[in-house]
Amino acid sequence: MKISRDYLDWLPWALATVCIAGSVHIVSVLLMPEIAPRNAFARLVDAAKSAETTPNGVALLPRAAPGAEVMPFEDSAFVEGVCLFDLSRGLMRVRADADPEDLLALSFHARTGRIFHSVTDRSAIKGKIDVLIGDASQIEAVEGEDEEAPPQQVRVTAPSTRGFVLLRSLARRASDRDRAEQRLRSITCETVAEPES
Amino acid sequence: MTNYVKAFAVMIAGLLLGFAMTAVSLGLGRGFGALHAGPWTAWPRHGAADIDPYARAVLARSGEAPLGRDQGLAFFARTDSSGAPLDGRCDYRILDSTPAARFWTLGAASAAGRLIDNPADRYAFTSSEITRREGGSFEIDIGAQARPGNWLPVAREPFVLVLRLYDTPLDVESAPDPTTFPKIVKLHCA
Repeated sequence: MKISRDYLDWLPWALATVCIAGSVHIVSVLLMPEIAPRNAFARLVDAAKSAETTPNGVALLPRAAPGAEVMPFEDSAFVEGVCLFDLSRGLMRVRADADPEDLLALSFHARTGRIFHSVTDRSAIKGKIDVLIGDASQIEAVEGEDEEAPPQQVRVTAPSTRGFVLLRSLARRASDRDRAEQRLRSITCETVAEPES
Repeated sequence: MTNYVKAFAVMIAGLLLGFAMTAVSLGLGRGFGALHAGPWTAWPRHGAADIDPYARAVLARSGEAPLGRDQGLAFFARTDSSGAPLDGRCDYRILDSTPAARFWTLGAASAAGRLIDNPADRYAFTSSEITRREGGSFEIDIGAQARPGNWLPVAREPFVLVLRLYDTPLDVESAPDPTTFPKIVKLHCA
């Protein structure tokens, strides 16, 4: 009889511990993308500072070498570039020419890591990739005026104000790296002003 | 008074237990929706908007930028085809085939995802550059010692193989056929 009364005394405290542990677990997992100091966005911001930026606004990432990788588990067969965006300054437009021979892959990441859009040159329309990203109100403003909208343009609503566009260009052989880099240099990332409404 | 002490103890225990659960759960896996094919595992949701909170936390902590779902799939292998962990002190051979894809690359990385330093400057093979036999089949030899043919160098420590399929028609809703994936065979150990 004594044992079960002791047990009942401790039960609420044990339940409270489990509740607190569960809440701490859920909150810490959900907050991790916000507070992780070396997530992909932070790494690319660092890398873009010291990297060469083309006149078209693409920061060319240095070739990965052992001990000097920008991000872990990247495909070393690719030449990579990045465009950082900040939608508070305007929309971001990314344009690239697709070459059916070689793989060009563009992925659009929110600051906290979610990929909200991705394409390869295979889904290009009339040989062009043209993506406009903005927040909900910016996209709405663009949709509202759309008189001379290019037909191949894809408009995407970004889930966060800041983020990055990762550009990957495949070098099929080690000797193709220069050509793959040329393809990155021909990509344009520009900030465009929101149309007056 | 004892109730205050108990409440304080409960708070501390709850916090510690919660953080421990987070550390353990993030160390165990890479989120939900994994796709298995023999030793190869991919997480298609990593590249899509429906990525789960655990996967986001794992990727944010490691700093990876996964492939977008519409670009392709990355399959990781930490064991050989018999289920034994991959270790650079052993030699392995990869035997084709590979699933349908416009291009694929097959590379080795350290357990933490870093490139493995080697004199040949070789970290991966692409489907275009690999040396094939007549008929198109191929083999890749993995080991710390240089060898002729398709040699993928590793260090004498555990490593990870990554098979990336670009523009692949592979269906992520059903389990892939393991026989269409490369086999990883252990040859001998030093």
